[in-house]
Amino acid sequence: MTIEDLQRFGARTDEGLARCLNNEQFYLMLVKKAIADDGYTRLQAAVEQGDFAQGFEIAHGLKGVLGNLSLTPLYEAVCEITELLRANTQTDYTPYLHRIAALHRQLADL
Amino acid sequence: MLKSHEKFYSANGKRLVLVADDEMINREIMGALLANDYEVIYAADGGGALERIRENSELLSLVLLDLLMPRVNGFEVLRQVREHPDLRHIPIIVITSDQKSEVESLTLGAIDFIPKPFPDPGVVLARVRRTIELSEDRMIISSTERDPLTELYNREYFYQYAERFDQHHRDMPMDAIVIDIYHFHTINERFGTAYGDKVLRVIAARLRTAVNELGGIVCRREADTFLAYLPHGCDYAALLTTAAEGFGEFAVNSRIRLRMGVYEKVNKELPVERRFDRANIAAEKIKNSFSGNIGIYDSSMYEKELYAEQLMEDFHTAIAEEQFLVYYQPKYDVRAKTPVLTSAEALVRWLHPKLGMISPAEFIPLFEDNGLIQPLDRYVWHKAASQIADWEKRLGFSVPVSVNVSRVDMYDQRLAEEFSRILRDNGISSADLLLEITESAYTEDSAQMIDMVQELRRLGFRIEMDDFGTGYSSLNMISSLPIDALKLDMHFIRQAFSKRRDTRLLEVIIEIADYLGVPVIAEGVETEEQLLALKAMGCDIVQGYYFSKPVPADAFEAFVVERKKQVEEERRHRITFASIAQALSQDYFCIYYIDTQDDSFIEYSAHEDYINLAIEKNGVDFFAVSRKNAPRVIHPDDLDMFLSAFTRDKVMEELEHSRTFTLTYRLMLNQKPTYVHLKATRMESKTFDHFVIGISNIDEQMRREQEYARILQMANQDALTGVKSKHAFAEAEHKLDRDIAAGVALPFALAVCDVNGLKHINDTYGHQVGDAFIKRACFVICEVFRHSEVFRIGGDEFAVLITDADYTNRAQLLERMQRYNQSAGKEDAAIACGMADFDPEEDSAVSIVLHRADKAMYDNKKALTKGGETL
Repeated sequence: MTIEDLQRFGARTDEGLARCLNNEQFYLMLVKKAIADDGYTRLQAAVEQGDFAQGFEIAHGLKGVLGNLSLTPLYEAVCEITELLRANTQTDYTPYLHRIAALHRQLADL
Repeated sequence: MLKSHEKFYSANGKRLVLVADDEMINREIMGALLANDYEVIYAADGGGALERIRENSELLSLVLLDLLMPRVNGFEVLRQVREHPDLRHIPIIVITSDQKSEVESLTLGAIDFIPKPFPDPGVVLARVRRTIELSEDRMIISSTERDPLTELYNREYFYQYAERFDQHHRDMPMDAIVIDIYHFHTINERFGTAYGDKVLRVIAARLRTAVNELGGIVCRREADTFLAYLPHGCDYAALLTTAAEGFGEFAVNSRIRLRMGVYEKVNKELPVERRFDRANIAAEKIKNSFSGNIGIYDSSMYEKELYAEQLMEDFHTAIAEEQFLVYYQPKYDVRAKTPVLTSAEALVRWLHPKLGMISPAEFIPLFEDNGLIQPLDRYVWHKAASQIADWEKRLGFSVPVSVNVSRVDMYDQRLAEEFSRILRDNGISSADLLLEITESAYTEDSAQMIDMVQELRRLGFRIEMDDFGTGYSSLNMISSLPIDALKLDMHFIRQAFSKRRDTRLLEVIIEIADYLGVPVIAEGVETEEQLLALKAMGCDIVQGYYFSKPVPADAFEAFVVERKKQVEEERRHRITFASIAQALSQDYFCIYYIDTQDDSFIEYSAHEDYINLAIEKNGVDFFAVSRKNAPRVIHPDDLDMFLSAFTRDKVMEELEHSRTFTLTYRLMLNQKPTYVHLKATRMESKTFDHFVIGISNIDEQMRREQEYARILQMANQDALTGVKSKHAFAEAEHKLDRDIAAGVALPFALAVCDVNGLKHINDTYGHQVGDAFIKRACFVICEVFRHSEVFRIGGDEFAVLITDADYTNRAQLLERMQRYNQSAGKEDAAIACGMADFDPEEDSAVSIVLHRADKAMYDNKKALTKGGETL
């Protein structure tokens, strides 16, 4: 995975890199760690079980990390579901979860 | 304002920051961001965050706190930290991604927030730095850590700061430095405190710049003392020079000198204060030394400190095990020819089980500094009191003991209570304990001291002002002090009798005591020369090796026993004298023993009952005192007589010639005039240097005599006419008969006069008219025989004892009587008169002459009746 790969994915790497004091290696390492996070599967499980509070907590955590790394498309998707869960919105979460899963896979495949 | 802490911290070490976030990646990012400027520790959840905070509460400069964490969330951490008194000073920045939480966290006490995603690292770092600075500045300001005069840190904050510094620089060798000004108080005194303050500000400014450049911190500890904490190895001399450079600006006095004490490579195990104590010890070493201005703490000082520490550590055991011994040094009254033991001073010694006998000079100053002197003083008071009680019990006698009352004791509000309890517990009185209070205690807070001393004196304690002359008491202050004696500091004696021998200061102090009317006690007197000189100067009481060194209680007992004997001897003498005086004088109620050399006297006077001659009073100038008292005690009618008779010259002259002088006058005793007899008798000795005056009450005797004389006179005087009575005539006759018998009778004649017709007048006109008749007739007789004694020897009969001039002219006088009878009118009585001369050859008694005169009178009476001149 390279910075260019991430840029193609839609990440604002300049921002993310700046947070990591422009240390590419450090940034990429953190991105890999973020992708390896089990939060995505835990989020899906919690929401499918209707545990929105738990879902919110997980989503919120993912959101913070994705934001700091500026993995923008995935960050925006997580933001959407975070706000719905925060408000305890009763809706069909399947499309949201699918979208997150797709973007996460896309990242993982880079 | 000082910003030295910026340099102080960031140049040499990093502040500690906690990053609490459940997301590892966030922690990593934040940690990497802060790592250059801060030491960062982490927590992955709320519980961990609280743990880290508690562990590092002293050191932690900042907490970066994620709000949403599993289990204990950020809000809970925030709440707990804010509520904990030891933690609440730690600033917290919350990390959050939503604005609602920002507001809530700020109200909970977060100082700032950092959003997520994190802003530009520069922004984060700026917020972190600013937050830490603000909080540190606030801490400085909030506890008024600055000295208002110099704007340097004050001592407390300085110590705190030094501690923090050490925590960040454990391995950096540091120096503790004390800088002060030689004789700063004289600068204040000479040029005023405004000038002194200016000096301090200049030094402070110089030091601040210099020390900051060296990477250290500086404060003003108090007055003219500055402390600096510096990395080891700076140029001390240069620092001192820099600090002193500012004085060039002062035209008035550029001779202000600084000195410096340095404790190098401090032992960081020691509390910070102690490190500066050591620097202080080093500075003290160079006091008044002109060889150098910088003293370095060395091993000898360390040894001394260790020694002092040991003494302090051993103190409580020493008290418990009674290792402190109370010694007694006698004080002698030297006014009389033979010194008299008046009291003792209790002095403490320490018999240490390992160190042996320790001099009080080694531990007293130490204990004065750290407050242990208070329990030590109390120990000595109790010991001395129980010793006095013991002597009283076993010997039936004791002398007062003076104990030291330290300055710190005087601030104890329960001091008077404590002394009362000591007296009560030991069954002794406040006269048994004398209290020595050092002069400098008075000068420090005189109003409070004076109150305390007055309270103690109300309890009956006598106060001796110790170390007099070492403080800076003003004469004005001293004269208002409630004290009973002045105790000269030993160094005055040493100074006065040193090689240069200058006793002027000593004399001045003794004069001050005189002025205050209190005795002077000199301590440290070692030689006879000193003793004699002090006596000559008017010193009253002397203590010192000349008489005795301080000795243990059992040794001092010998002094007590000796004094007891003296007192008993004196008492016996007094009793003997009293009994002798009483026996000799019986009626004397007052005896004076007067020394003619100086007119000093002792009065032995009795109580009102005049039985016990017990009250002894000494005085000087006997005559002046007596004459001064005279108007108050002598009957006004006798005062002039007394004053003119009782002069020194007259009494002395009389005594020179006849050995006794007497005077009788009336004293006013209980407002009643009372006759007394004063008798002065010269003592039998080669030189006339003493005499004794006794005064006896002769009132009763005088009054008896007066009464007798009155009765006597009444008997010898005729009540109606005032001429002598028949009784008087009998006495005169008796006396004359004795003279006649002895053949020494002077020539005399007797005339007998009879008032004619008295019976008729009495019967006709009553006795009143008759009495008037007699009086007129008597007047006539007295007029005729002017120089002779006239006696009324019967109702109408008079006898005239004719002597002297009348005897010579007796024929003419008889003729005058006849002429009167011839010229007498109807209302006048005729007086028959016959006369006879005493014939020493023939007459063996007055009665014979009287008989002849009587006969001649009858002849005359007949002749008068024949002449028809009857009444």
